[in-house]
Amino acid sequence: MARPEYDHPITQLPDRVSRRRYEREKRARQEAEQLLEAKSRELYDANLALQKQAAGLEEAVAQRTAEFEAARNEAESANAAKSIFLATMSHEIRTPLNGVLGMATALADSDLTSEQEEILDLISDSGNLLLSVINDILDLSKVEAGMLEIENVPTSVCDFLDGMCAQFAPKVREKGLRFTVLYSGLLSAGGVWAEFDPNRLSQVLGNLLSNAIKFTTSGAVAFTAEAVHLENGNLQLNLIIRDTGIGVPEENSEKLFQPFTQADASITRKFGGTGLGLVIARDICRMMGGDITCLSAAGDGTEFTASIQMTPAKCPETTKGLQLAENEAVLKQRKWRVLIAEDNKTNQLVLKHMLKRYDLELVIVADGAKVVSEWRSNGADLILMDVNMPVMDGLSATRAIRADELEGKHQPVPIVAISANAMVHQVSGYLEGGMTGHVAKPIRKAELVRAMALALSETAIAPT
Amino acid sequence: MKGMVFVELFRMAETVMSEEDLDNIIDRIDLSTDGAYTSVGNYPCSELIKLVVAIGDQLNIPVTALQTKFGHWMFSRFVDGYPEFFEGKQNAFEMLEAIENEVHVEVLKLYPDAELPTFSTQRFSGGAGLKMTYSSDRPLNHFCLGLIEGCVEHFDRPAEIKMRDCSEDGRCRAEFMIEWAK
Repeated sequence: MARPEYDHPITQLPDRVSRRRYEREKRARQEAEQLLEAKSRELYDANLALQKQAAGLEEAVAQRTAEFEAARNEAESANAAKSIFLATMSHEIRTPLNGVLGMATALADSDLTSEQEEILDLISDSGNLLLSVINDILDLSKVEAGMLEIENVPTSVCDFLDGMCAQFAPKVREKGLRFTVLYSGLLSAGGVWAEFDPNRLSQVLGNLLSNAIKFTTSGAVAFTAEAVHLENGNLQLNLIIRDTGIGVPEENSEKLFQPFTQADASITRKFGGTGLGLVIARDICRMMGGDITCLSAAGDGTEFTASIQMTPAKCPETTKGLQLAENEAVLKQRKWRVLIAEDNKTNQLVLKHMLKRYDLELVIVADGAKVVSEWRSNGADLILMDVNMPVMDGLSATRAIRADELEGKHQPVPIVAISANAMVHQVSGYLEGGMTGHVAKPIRKAELVRAMALALSETAIAPT
Repeated sequence: MKGMVFVELFRMAETVMSEEDLDNIIDRIDLSTDGAYTSVGNYPCSELIKLVVAIGDQLNIPVTALQTKFGHWMFSRFVDGYPEFFEGKQNAFEMLEAIENEVHVEVLKLYPDAELPTFSTQRFSGGAGLKMTYSSDRPLNHFCLGLIEGCVEHFDRPAEIKMRDCSEDGRCRAEFMIEWAK
C-alpha cells in the first residue's frame, strides 16, 4: 500500500515543547474532560430515565393485567348470573306448567266430547312442547354451570334403541317418509348390555331423529347403530342418522352447535325451535366420552353421527320395576292410606286427579309438621312428600318420622319425595335423608304410579 | 465539525512543518478556542477552512491539493483506528458503498449531534464503475477526493477517478466517477 510521503517527519521534533503548545494541549485536555463529564452525566440521566420508564411500564402492565382480570371476572359473573337466571326462570315456569299439564292429564281421564278431546290434545301438545323447551334451557344452564349429571345404569342397548325407534317410526310414516333401521357390529347379534345414561342418550337420539324428520319433506330417514370394542375395554356406540332433507350449507355447519343459533334465521321462522337441542346433545355425548359430528351439504341431506363410550355390563337376572298395568294393580290391591304433604294448591289438585281412578284414602296436608302429626295420629301406608314446604320441609319431616319409628320399633313407612329439584345429587340427598323414592316435577302419571307401586309392593311383602 | 478532524490536521501538518511554524499559524488566526482542539469536541467548520488555507500558504501548496492530501491522511487514520469497518469488504467500491449505511450509522451512535455529509452511490458499466455523489454544507470536495483516492490505494487495485463539481446555491456537491483501470 502506498503511504503518503508526510508519514516521515521532515523536521526533527524538539525534546521540549513550547509554553504556548503546552498551554494549548492542557486546555484541550481540560475541554475533553469537561465534555466527557457532560457525556457521563447525559448517560446517567438517560439511564435514570430508562429505569423510570421501565418501572412505569411494569406498573402499566400490572394495571392492565388487573383491568383484564376485573373484566374477566365481570364477564364470568355475568355468565354465571345468566345461568342462574335461566335455571331460576325455568324452575319458576315449570311449577305452573306442572299444574297445566297435570290438569290436562286429569281432564283426559274424564268423559269428553271428541271436540273437547281435540282441544285437550292441543293443550297437552303445546304444554309438552313448552316443557321440552324449558328442559332444554335448564339443561343448557346446567351444562354451562358444569352441573349436568350423567347417571349410568346397566341397560340393554338393543331394547333401548328398539324403544326409541318404536317411538319415532310413527312420526316418520306420518310424514310419508321411509324409515330404515340397521344394527351392525356387536349389535347385530343383540343381547348387548352396557352401562350408560338412557335418559340422556334418548335426549340425544331423540333430538337427532326429530331433526331428521323435521327437515325432510320427501325421501327417507335412515338410522344405523353399531357398537365396537375399544382398546380400553369400553364399548363405543355410534348412532348414525341420515336423512334426505334440506341439508346444511357448509358455511353454517359450525352454527349448529352454538346455543340459540340455527343454521340461518329463516330456519327458525319455518321450522321453529330454540337452537339448543344440538348444543346440549353434543355436550351430553362429550360427557359420555364421545362427540357429535355432522356431514352435510345444502339440499343434499344430512348425516349426523353421535358416539358415546359405554362400560360393558351383564344382563341383570331380574329387572326391577314393573309395567304400568302391574303398577296400577298394586295401587288397586286395597284402599291404601296415602298421606300427601304438598303446600301448592295446584299440585295438590294434580295429585288428587292423577290418583282419583284408584280407590285410595288420600289425606292432603300443606306442610311437613302437619304430615308428621297426621302420621303419628293415624299412621299411613305411604307418604308423598314435597321437599320445599313452609313450617317444616320434607326432609326434616322425614327425619322426624324415621326417628319416631326407630324409637317405637315401627316398620318404616315408605316416603316418596316429590320435587322439581331432581338433579342426581339432590335425589341421592333425599334417599340419604331417609326417603325411599323420588318422583320429579312436573309429575308424569306413569312415573308417579310406578314409584308408588314400587314403594307399596315392598311394604306389601314385608309383614305389617 | 468533529474535533478529531482538527487534531488530525495538526498531526499531519506536524509531519511537514516544525511545531513552531504550526504554532505560529495557530496564533496568527482567530480561533474560538485559541487552537486547543480535542477530538471529542465540536468546532466551527470555518476554522478548519482557515487553518487549511494558512497551512497551504505556509507550505506553498494550493488549498485544493492540501485538502486532497489531508483526505489521504484521514483515510489511513481510519484504517488504523477502525479495522472492523473493513472486515468482509472485497474492494474499494464495496467500502465506499458502505459509508452511508454502515460507517455513518456507527458515527451517529457515538455522536448523535454529528452533521454528516451524504454519499449516494450507484454502479454503472455493469458494476465496473461506481458513481459517488457527495453533498454537504461544507466545501470539502477535494478532501473527499483524497479519501476516495486513499480508499482505492488501500485496496491496491488501480482505478481512474474523475471529479465533477456541481455545487449550487451554497450547497457543496460533487460527483465522483470511479472506474477500474484497464
